[in-house]
Amino acid sequence: MAIQLQQVSYTYADRSLWRQTALHDINLSIAQGSMVGIAGATGSGKSTLLQLFNGILKPSQGTVQVLDVTIQAGEKAPRLLPLRRRVGLVFQFPEQQMFEETVEKDLIFGPLNFGMSPEEAKARARQAMTDMGLDLELLERNPFRLSGGQMRKAAIASVLAMDPEIIVLDEPTATLDPLSRAELIGLLERLCREQGRTIIIVTHRMDELLPYADHWALLKEGGLMFQGSGLALAQDPDILERCGLSVPQSLRYWHAVARRFGLEGEQPCLTADSLAERIALLQAEGMRDSHE
Amino acid sequence: MKETNIVNETGDAVISLEGVAFGYDPEHPILHNITLSVPRGQWVSIVGPNGCGKSTLVKLLNALLPKSAGEIVVCGQPLEEETIGSIRGSIGMVFQNPDNQFVGATVEEDILFGLEGLCLSYDEMDERLKLYTEKLGISHLLSKHPGELSGGQKQRVAIASILAMKPGIVIFDEASSMLDEGSRNELLVILQGMRDEGYTILMITHDADEILASDRVLALHGGSLAADLTPEELFRDQELLARCHLREPYPWQLARELQRLGIRTDVPASEKELIDTLWPYNYSK
Repeated sequence: MAIQLQQVSYTYADRSLWRQTALHDINLSIAQGSMVGIAGATGSGKSTLLQLFNGILKPSQGTVQVLDVTIQAGEKAPRLLPLRRRVGLVFQFPEQQMFEETVEKDLIFGPLNFGMSPEEAKARARQAMTDMGLDLELLERNPFRLSGGQMRKAAIASVLAMDPEIIVLDEPTATLDPLSRAELIGLLERLCREQGRTIIIVTHRMDELLPYADHWALLKEGGLMFQGSGLALAQDPDILERCGLSVPQSLRYWHAVARRFGLEGEQPCLTADSLAERIALLQAEGMRDSHE
Repeated sequence: MKETNIVNETGDAVISLEGVAFGYDPEHPILHNITLSVPRGQWVSIVGPNGCGKSTLVKLLNALLPKSAGEIVVCGQPLEEETIGSIRGSIGMVFQNPDNQFVGATVEEDILFGLEGLCLSYDEMDERLKLYTEKLGISHLLSKHPGELSGGQKQRVAIASILAMKPGIVIFDEASSMLDEGSRNELLVILQGMRDEGYTILMITHDADEILASDRVLALHGGSLAADLTPEELFRDQELLARCHLREPYPWQLARELQRLGIRTDVPASEKELIDTLWPYNYSK
């Protein structure tokens, strides 16, 4: 397991009058090398959950295990610096965190701080640029002279440059145009499938992640309402409404077709082209049956 | 092209632009030669890839940015030094991130702030506060701090505070990009209500459902107007969609993919309609 949470609760301002429980009794397992979607209405605790994944926040109760590091409530935390390199956190609007005068300097800042040699850091920066589908020429460019989509990718590359095993992204596609969104999700999927990294994405646009995610976690008011495969989610889309989310159209259409023909056990077709092909197959079968 | 615009202007055009350009360097303008007119009460989507000049265009209308060439007429007034104040009063703007436009410590103060600026009487202010908070379903939130609200609620407060100032034209700059699907649907309902009441709406958006709900699409590309058409025309034009980095709504995608496979079907209104059209007879499998 890449990440395992056992009976984790988190309370803000625990010892004050204004204590507020953001998460309660979360049991969550995330497998190594998987692509995971986390969804939930505003204020359901998504961002709090993310910050538990590399020890920015420590649990008020329960145990958080990330890779081989265990953080237990009430006990002194182990040294977290190595963990912070291995778990990369990409916050909302990461491009706002860029500050150096060239993209390259921005990308090597993290690796140098974690003790890599300048040569190694530069090599990592180049690799990260390639992984994010960015032209190496942009390394010399001022980050503020990139387009919005390029800036977003460069900011993600600066986290990737630290060679993290787990990458956690908070709304990575927000405000990008639909084409750039699809492209970014595709790049993240490649990091997962080709390089075996664990990718965790918080999103309020489930439709764009549904075809790719292996596993989903749904939060509601600080509790974990659902965790399971995309298949399990496709079999019971109503759970989304119970979490205060609406069911994406791709899932609604698949569910209707699946229910009509008893295909609920099949791997769901969650893109327009895969569903169209499945429908064509159903129609061909229907034609054959009616001839018999 | 020019002919039709003159015709529109003599009609009920509330916004008209003639050869408008913007840029710091005349050799490399950010927007060039924009000519268009918008009749009163129309809901217009402004689309295009990131960085094509959409936000720049709407900021020219109320002189948040100064035009470098051309003529802009808003509500019959040419945009000039002396008319900026009155034109700004007729245009309300709602931004991407509602956090950027909160000024009050409570929702009530926030909405009243804009009204105080208009020098209204207390009675008038109370009346408008009551009317618009009820309209947007936020009357129960008046004493809340903006930080306590959800994303969708914040967006409603931002819209209420703009509408309370009674602008005839409301501009939304990607106002739904930070909202979840439920709140996006709520926003669509609000916009439909605004159209029914006769507001002119300009909306910068990438969202297929929002575009579909509007009356007209202006597509910008590389700083000029690439197309002026209906949402249906846009969603049938694959080449233009690709150029604007857009996708059609899911049912449109599905219908297109089915047609590619030789299955003839119209764009379904719902999943039930699709099933009923494709399998009209209740045969057993």
